[in-house]
Amino acid sequence: MNEFPLVIENLSFQYRSRPELAIEAVTFSLRQGEMLLVAGSSGCGKTTLARCINGLIPRSYGGTRQGNVLLNGKEVAEMSLVQVAQVVGTLLQDPERQIVASNVYNEIAFGPENLGLPRDEIMARVEQVLKRLKIEHLRNRDTFTLSGGEKQKVALAGLLVMRPSILLLDEPLASLDPASAHEALAVFRSLADEGASIVLVEHRVEDALAARPDRLLYMNAGRIQYLGQIDDLPPSIDHHQVKLPAQWVVRRAQQTQEFVLPVSAPAAEKDAEVLVAFEQVGFAYGPDLPQVLHNVNLQIRRGDMIAVLGPNGAGKSTLVKHAIGLLKPVSGRVLVKGKDTRELSVAQVARTLGYVFQSPTHMLFAPSVREELAFGPQNLGFSKEEIARNIRESVQTVNLAGFEEYPPLGLSFGQQKRTTIASVLAMQSSIMVMDEPTAGQDYANYTRFMDAMCHAEGTKKSLLSENFAATLFITHDIDLAVTYANRVLLVSNGTLLADGCPEEILSDFALLESCRVRPSSLLRLNLELLPKTGKFLPAEALVQYVA
Amino acid sequence: MLVSWKYRPRNTFIQRLDPRSRLIFLACVILSLTIPNIWDIRLIFPLFLLTLTLYLLAQIEWKDVRRAWLFIFFLIFFIVGLNGMLSGRGGPTSVMNDTSAPLFTLPVYFPGTTWGFSLEITLVRIVFAITQMTRMLSMAILALPLPYTMDPNIYGVAFRKMGVSDKVSFTMDLAFRFLPTLARDLSITIDAQRARGYEMDSLKGGIVARLRRLAPLIVPVTMQSTVTGEEVIDAMDLRAFGTAPRTWLKDLHFARRDYLFIALGVSIFVAFCVLKWGFGIGEFWIPPALVAGLN
Repeated sequence: MNEFPLVIENLSFQYRSRPELAIEAVTFSLRQGEMLLVAGSSGCGKTTLARCINGLIPRSYGGTRQGNVLLNGKEVAEMSLVQVAQVVGTLLQDPERQIVASNVYNEIAFGPENLGLPRDEIMARVEQVLKRLKIEHLRNRDTFTLSGGEKQKVALAGLLVMRPSILLLDEPLASLDPASAHEALAVFRSLADEGASIVLVEHRVEDALAARPDRLLYMNAGRIQYLGQIDDLPPSIDHHQVKLPAQWVVRRAQQTQEFVLPVSAPAAEKDAEVLVAFEQVGFAYGPDLPQVLHNVNLQIRRGDMIAVLGPNGAGKSTLVKHAIGLLKPVSGRVLVKGKDTRELSVAQVARTLGYVFQSPTHMLFAPSVREELAFGPQNLGFSKEEIARNIRESVQTVNLAGFEEYPPLGLSFGQQKRTTIASVLAMQSSIMVMDEPTAGQDYANYTRFMDAMCHAEGTKKSLLSENFAATLFITHDIDLAVTYANRVLLVSNGTLLADGCPEEILSDFALLESCRVRPSSLLRLNLELLPKTGKFLPAEALVQYVA
Repeated sequence: MLVSWKYRPRNTFIQRLDPRSRLIFLACVILSLTIPNIWDIRLIFPLFLLTLTLYLLAQIEWKDVRRAWLFIFFLIFFIVGLNGMLSGRGGPTSVMNDTSAPLFTLPVYFPGTTWGFSLEITLVRIVFAITQMTRMLSMAILALPLPYTMDPNIYGVAFRKMGVSDKVSFTMDLAFRFLPTLARDLSITIDAQRARGYEMDSLKGGIVARLRRLAPLIVPVTMQSTVTGEEVIDAMDLRAFGTAPRTWLKDLHFARRDYLFIALGVSIFVAFCVLKWGFGIGEFWIPPALVAGLN
């Protein structure tokens, strides 16, 4: 076997449709059994580098490529896709995008079937991989019924069965809950220990550290800015671009003398006006189907900034769909401003509660941002003057002024997400509900987005507090709860396990573990400094409290 | 990611059959009615009873297929049936050139105006509508259970083993699963737009206005489908699909019952051809008793 299965020499690539180089003069090699973490913000060239390694460049993406990509000594451009597929196994960001077969066994067998291997060998390989990843119990399951973590293991099995010497993992943690992400990282580590060479592309460096990568390659504007040991990162690596452990951020902020005001949402008030009330709510999607919600009691009050945490499939989305009236409880009732949602249409509830779905592509349809934003208010019967005013204010609020005549589907993902927020702002609902507001965005973009939405300064309220009486967001990222929420709900198996202020709920690690939520370094540091700070703060704001 | 139909394994005669024999039998029934152009209810009705029996043997739960049947009933009764009764279109020459005395006249006028016309309903057209609906139902009742009673894992191999190429077979596999995926995306989009105050019942106005009101559903679903399609292609490319002759892990074998089932289908086709072209049986037929009753 080759000592360096992957060697990249002076690699540059320019897409046909773009004037600038996507990557420039990239050179590195990967040892057998080495795990290389590739990090950098959106547009730094990570994806282009991955496409050069798995052969999609130059096959599927046109442009000019210079330099060499050698797989076991052979230039990738001179290899057929069948040959590349047997050397490089690519795990895509979202396992849903990778799975093509309807059943787990067939999904794993898909690659070897395409290689035309004998039937006995395919079956032997599938059995071996099922065992290796400890997913034998999934073999007969339909792929679309799997949980996020299971889907990823099946997608990974579909690669391992091809016996590649290099694994290219493109942001593999993005769609997993924290516990599943941790399990996945342990599997990656063990594969590297067994001799696989791994390129792990991930902007959440803190999470990826659990897999103990051997080196970090940090990219910026298409070039390698740093390649070396992880615990020896130079200060030039911007902690706003990739997620670093909180202690590292504090150290860097100290070095660069970055000073952030200790601001966060004002504490939730327990006697504030109740806007939405869940009373003994139970729900199942059908009479023969299992119960998804069990006796949920909950009140959303004025001033609340609620983070809903819990594993995939816990019932978080089902819970919030009850608040908007998209689902009606089988038992108990949901009251929106005192009225039972069973007696209200969804449009009527929408006047009180605006719901931003996870994926903008499920919402956006209009030929211009202006028309997109007018859609909700028009449905609710606003006057033309009101609609014009609301659109004007909303685009300014989410920093989209000047984009009014642009087609929303032609905007970047972050801008699309802001368009969906603006479309709810324009409806002037009093409560904002967001399902995974940071999904599909990289660290730099989502922290900028959440800061823009939730950041309050001095006497100035945050954008969300200014425009909404209460906000509720579903998330897998515990740091969002630490940084922005004044109330946390923990949901598991359709039950509301805990409800209270972040400082109280997130300090109970046993409780968090039961909801597959893993404490982050920011949470641990905040808990350590809590006697001094009195409340949770973002990492940069903790600088002044660290001795 | 594509989702699958609501398939569940059942220990029934229909599900024990090889999927190829079911597809061949379906083709035989469709060809029996269309190639020799059979319009005689005396031939069509027994065939309908046979396909109904096969449907009942599949033991599909009504709640699983309720929506699909409502759609088919709507299509057959309101479009095929009414069209047949009112215009006779799509029927044999004797129906198209019907000159029999009308049983009654149906006035169709725009409300409050004198614009419109009167439709003359004849016995010929009523019998034709019933014949046409039975003909369509005979085929639909055989096709509808397929996605609910055929394992999604053998869609592709069923076509491959009938001599279709690897690429086309897998395309058929993906196409079969496309419809439920579309339904899932549509349901998410409907929820997303309802949360913005959109109401399906507010689809008022002319065709253009209605289509404009449907844009909030059609555009996101189309975009989502395009994205899903591209994702599936990338995922297949990265796992070397289509670069070499493929091994299909699942193998299919005909049993005795499959040969008998195919023989039954072929016999029906041959019998209908012989009856029509050899004996002239199969033209549009009206029960003489009905005609006599009218006279």
